[in-house]
Amino acid sequence: MARVGVFVCFCGANIADFVDVPAVVEEAKKIKEVKYAIDYKYMCSDPGQGMIRDAIVAHRLTSIVVAACSPRMHEKTFRKALSDAGMNPYLLEVANIREHSSWVHQKDKKAATEKSSDLIRMAVAKSMANEQLHEISVPVTKRALVIGGGIAGIQAALDIADARIPVVLVEKSPSIGGKMAQLDETFPTLDCSQCILTPKMVDVASHPYIELLPYSEVLELDGYVGNYKVKIKRKASYVNFDTCTGCGACWQKCPVKVPNEFNMGIDKRKAIYSPFPQAVPNKPVIDAEHCTMLIKGKCGICAKVCEKGSIDYTMQDEIIEREIGAVVVATGYDLWDPKPYEEYGVGRYKDIITSLEFERMVSASGPTGGVPVRPSDGKIPKSVVFIKCVGSRDEAKGIEYCSKICCMYTAKHAMLLHHKVHDSHAYIFYMDIRAAGKGYEEFVKRAQVETAATYLRGRVSKIYKKGDKLMVRGEDAQIGQVVEVEADLVVLATAVYPYKDNSDLARLLGISYDKYGFLSEAHPKLRPVETAKAGIFLAGCTQAPKDIPETVAQASATAAKVCGLFAGDTMLKDPMVSTVNTDYCTGCQNCVTVCPYQAIITEEIPLGHGSKEIRTVAKINEGVCQGCGSCVAICRSMAIDLAGFTDMQIINEIVSI
Amino acid sequence: MNYTKQIQDIAGRLFSEEKIDVFIGYRNTGFDENQVPVLINQYKDVDQLLFTDKSVFNLANYLKYEHTRNKRVGLVVKGCDSRALNLMLTENQVKREKLFIVGIACEGVVDETGGKAQNCVECVMPDAVVFDEMLGTPSGKRDYQENSDIRALDGKSLTGRQEYFEEVFENCIRCNACRHSCPLCYCSNCCIDQETATLYHGANTTSSAFHALMTWSLHLAGRCVDCRNCEKACPSHLPLHLLHKQNEKVIYENFQEHLAGMIQDDRGAFYKYSLSDPDDFIM
Ligand SMILES: Cc1cc2nc3c(=O)[nH]c(=O)nc-3n(C[C@H](O)[C@H](O)[C@H](O)COP(=O)(O)OP(=O)(O)OC[C@H]3O[C@@H](n4cnc5c(N)ncnc54)[C@H](O)[C@@H]3O)c2cc1C
Ligand code: SF4
Ligand code: SF4
Ligand code: SF4
Ligand code: SF4
Ligand code: SF4
Ligand code: SF4
Repeated sequence: MARVGVFVCFCGANIADFVDVPAVVEEAKKIKEVKYAIDYKYMCSDPGQGMIRDAIVAHRLTSIVVAACSPRMHEKTFRKALSDAGMNPYLLEVANIREHSSWVHQKDKKAATEKSSDLIRMAVAKSMANEQLHEISVPVTKRALVIGGGIAGIQAALDIADARIPVVLVEKSPSIGGKMAQLDETFPTLDCSQCILTPKMVDVASHPYIELLPYSEVLELDGYVGNYKVKIKRKASYVNFDTCTGCGACWQKCPVKVPNEFNMGIDKRKAIYSPFPQAVPNKPVIDAEHCTMLIKGKCGICAKVCEKGSIDYTMQDEIIEREIGAVVVATGYDLWDPKPYEEYGVGRYKDIITSLEFERMVSASGPTGGVPVRPSDGKIPKSVVFIKCVGSRDEAKGIEYCSKICCMYTAKHAMLLHHKVHDSHAYIFYMDIRAAGKGYEEFVKRAQVETAATYLRGRVSKIYKKGDKLMVRGEDAQIGQVVEVEADLVVLATAVYPYKDNSDLARLLGISYDKYGFLSEAHPKLRPVETAKAGIFLAGCTQAPKDIPETVAQASATAAKVCGLFAGDTMLKDPMVSTVNTDYCTGCQNCVTVCPYQAIITEEIPLGHGSKEIRTVAKINEGVCQGCGSCVAICRSMAIDLAGFTDMQIINEIVSI
Repeated sequence: MNYTKQIQDIAGRLFSEEKIDVFIGYRNTGFDENQVPVLINQYKDVDQLLFTDKSVFNLANYLKYEHTRNKRVGLVVKGCDSRALNLMLTENQVKREKLFIVGIACEGVVDETGGKAQNCVECVMPDAVVFDEMLGTPSGKRDYQENSDIRALDGKSLTGRQEYFEEVFENCIRCNACRHSCPLCYCSNCCIDQETATLYHGANTTSSAFHALMTWSLHLAGRCVDCRNCEKACPSHLPLHLLHKQNEKVIYENFQEHLAGMIQDDRGAFYKYSLSDPDDFIM
């Protein structure tokens, strides 16, 4: 005989103000199977849970209905109360009388009360078909994949590897380091970016638990949390990394010159190149698009000068497969292309550059030896205009969001300019100064005082050329007037924007992304480093604009998540998974088509008992299945049932009201 | 339209070359003008076969039964029939290599009054879309046109339509002939018969018929090819095409002019997700 206990929560005033809770309890008592019903102010509190535990024992209850908030909030809490009282935790049903009733029917207490009773009736009816369920244990492969070798990927890889968990780090460019390697000094402390980054890069290269795959890309990810299989393409570098010493003879002699990406095209690199002196690994690669030997079979100089014979023009892309248990995506960001700002003369005027170009110029190891120069004539600029929010916070031309780091680095740029060109002056057009962070406001203040930069609040409306100067016209909202500034150089703080192929990567991994291509976290507040797909985590600017401290914090957080996941040899998983009744399955494979997690494959079984003929039916991998129910809905012959949400349970609910 | 001779020749050839075990075609009832489907198992019976504008049934339906399962089958399909067959192939119910398909470039069949059947007047694709040998001259795909009965029904008020359908469903005797005659209703354990599906229980109440037929029509939404095999089988003469044509219209208008079974590997609107699917009806 079923003995159901019903526990109705006031949720303080949240439910009680709009639902007559005692009346709901009385109504519940009238249901035949309900042997015990009671209310309490906060069911989720310790005494509330105690009431459940005690009643289970005292009234020999066989299933429990808690009428309270959304199961998303406290289902786990109440399940725990059940198991503490020795009951299978999956014999719990939650009737959501807060989000589904009191909150949405605040104007009609009577109706909200009746609806709450209906929801309880449904939950009781559903619980009649509840079964004891047990968590599924799946084995885990204790190896992590980190995609992207910027500071986010580096930090995540190091933290995971320090916990003695093997890491495969995949970086698409020839060296790890990401954008941080391109920066000069960093806010808010002005320490040298390379100096703090390089040791970490070297640690990655020498760490016994890290397998570094530079110049590589992820092609495929199969499987499920704890048991992924990844296919990686290692692009041909045409250089045997095992024998190459990184001496540099090859790139010194290579005759082909190509714009240098690392220096934002300010100078040239060779067709065989290593992106920067501190690169890790410090081995060159041949850029197949520009090497004349690879294109036309003419040249071959690098092979001649290489004493180690490391050059191999016949090298092919290599496909590498690894079994892994978790993934950290740390693919960083790109800068937004400011082309839509035609009125600034972007592309037409050489002396308009982006913030990252400026960063390379002021870098001591940069292409201009640490002094900013005008691209047009190589002169050192005295009057420099910085324009913030180029693309950011501009719904009409750019994007809605704030890029978060530009206020800070522009203040930094004013300081760096001041340090490098003493008689210069910086003008900064801004919308707001957003300097929330430890030591940030102080940093901006310091920049303002030290550099005496002119901060002009307003958007720039036009830039035009006058002689060899650029005239920057904008509004100064503080005096309510249009101002014009004569500039030698204009620096655009263009928005932080995801790489174009970030959404392709997301689709390949089966995770979601927003309309810009930033990857989406599972919950903006409570699960900021997880994705909705179990075992895949996010670090750094691939999720949203961030500065280095925040990036590093998030990267370490992903490492904690990965270590947590790998804490045991097996992993426990919710038992809410689907199974196929092969007697009913027609083999149409509609379920295979709709399953968003590729959890369904087909298998061949005998046509009938002892029959030699075979037929094809669907088979669900319970380790992969996330219990989304898509297959259940699509299967016409109702061959699939989802544990915890069986057809019988749902039908019971429907017929109960 | 008469392909009797050609079909007899093809079937005869297939049997003598031992390419098939069964041939599915049409023969005379023997007692009136009408025809019935026939399963021929040997060469000497091929002269029973015939094909005219009275060859109304969808023979793909017979591929779902024991008699033909895992056998090498020859069969005749008109345009609509071939689209159903296409879906059966897509949904892994038959193997293409086991079939010899005689496709017809159809000129339309007759209804009980002897005039051209409504579905043939409105037919979007009279030529077989999948075949090994084609009989007749293909006339190509035609423009989709809205069913005239649906247009008339749409003119009615909501309650008017409800009353109309309640009256219609009242006549259903729950014999399931509609389901058995549909080539796309091949499930060995149909949902309607299942123990859990209490909504469909109750021998023949209007409510159980309503739920059963609604579910059935939704299982054919985006798949039904308007062959009207079901309607021909219904002993109570329910206008079943109203359900299917309504679904077809909604899907045609909302899902990139989708028409069932036109190309292989197309499972239909309900069974695939595309970013351009409309979502304005989702709350
Ligand atoms: C001009 C400027 C100045 C800045 N100054 C400061 C400062 O002073 N202080 C501060 O705190 N922050 C500063 N920042 C912000 C800082 O650059 C970022 O916070 C930091 O670089 C984010 O690191 P990340 O690892 O997330 O991304 P990234 O540095 O972009 O690294 C991403 C890495 O992933 C790789 N990758 C991308 N896609 C793939 C793929 N599909 N497969 C494999 N690998 C891939 C990339 O090649 C790259 O190596 C500045 C930014 C700019 C633009
Ligand atoms: S949808 Fe249903 S009938 Fe079709 S293969 Fe899947 S389980 Fe089988
Ligand atoms: S419930 Fe079905 S569709 Fe959803 S993940 Fe599981 S197997 Fe796939
Ligand atoms: S619907 Fe088309 S293909 Fe089918 S019988 Fe009529 S005309 Fe022929
Ligand atoms: S009504 Fe649905 S479940 Fe029943 S046979 Fe047809 S398609 Fe299959
Ligand atoms: S539902 Fe009727 S008209 Fe549609 S394909 Fe099936 S038998 Fe033909
Ligand atoms: S064939 Fe007609 S009477 Fe029989 S179940 Fe179908 S609709 Fe009802």
